Amino acid sequence: MNVKFLNPFVDAAYDIIKAETGFELQRGQLGLEKNAYVTEDLTVIISLVGAVEGNVFYSMSKSTALQLVSSILGQEINEMDPLMQSGIAELGNVITGNASIKLANSGYESNISPPTLLVGKGATIYTLDIARVVVPLFSESLELKIHLALREGIRKGASAASMAIPPAPKI
Amino acid sequence: MNVKFLNPFTEAAAKVLEAECGLAVNKGQLSLQKSALTAEEVTVLISLVGQVEGIVLYGMNIPTALALVSRVMDQEFSEFDDLAKSGVAELGNVITGQATIKLSQAGYESQISPPTLIEGKNVEISTLDFQRIVVPLATEVGTVTVHLGLRESRS
Repeated sequence: MNVKFLNPFVDAAYDIIKAETGFELQRGQLGLEKNAYVTEDLTVIISLVGAVEGNVFYSMSKSTALQLVSSILGQEINEMDPLMQSGIAELGNVITGNASIKLANSGYESNISPPTLLVGKGATIYTLDIARVVVPLFSESLELKIHLALREGIRKGASAASMAIPPAPKI
Repeated sequence: MNVKFLNPFTEAAAKVLEAECGLAVNKGQLSLQKSALTAEEVTVLISLVGQVEGIVLYGMNIPTALALVSRVMDQEFSEFDDLAKSGVAELGNVITGQATIKLSQAGYESQISPPTLIEGKNVEISTLDFQRIVVPLATEVGTVTVHLGLRESRS
């Protein structure tokens, strides 16, 4: 993955979480993961399409998610109810939207998809042929990881998906 | 969700499964779901961005996934390895790509994201405020369930 796609996400996550919740996060050690991602309690999935394309995951434990949403809404939330799920997905949406503006400013226009939320531990997510860069962001009580599986958009001409289906081979 | 987004996907799925896997498809009973869905053994997730936006999910169990890729690649797969995963994801990619061509002919331009594959039954996938139309597509090697959480873009 192109590392220049990384900083906009880290910046956006830091700024937005500070503005919305007051938590100041620190950045941990970067990692490049070729293996699949085994889910944590909550994962927000958002796709990018355009000059940068791929998937972004925000993963966190239930306790981190509850603290974040409680601070955003200014009321104590103790359960993973629909309001809380919607809050976390929206946080991912805002961070990704902000990062995509930063990417556009450096010449990579892209559009983002609506968020999808995965609830539950232990499933495995494969980004297939796109490697994943993982950035942990943490404070004393929070830890959230950003997983970026992005590449420069390759759909300049005809995309593979729009090719006609070739006939079955004879052999 | 707008029902006119549905037919391009069922048509594309039927066409692709027939051409790539030699399988006839029977469309089952449609349903509309609001709640989170419990993942099947294998789920391919692809997003649409553009005048139609949202999420498309293709769910199936592992034996069905293996039978599909075995037919696509004309080689027996008994393990759900990287090549098999890539094959299933690609099948989802091609179906979604074909469907978006049909959608753009109907006046709805959109682009699709690279596919993501989720393996594991113990999670819930929530499309949040998107209602999903669910269409089971039955074939002789098992059922592929298509979930469409799509809407016209507001922007």
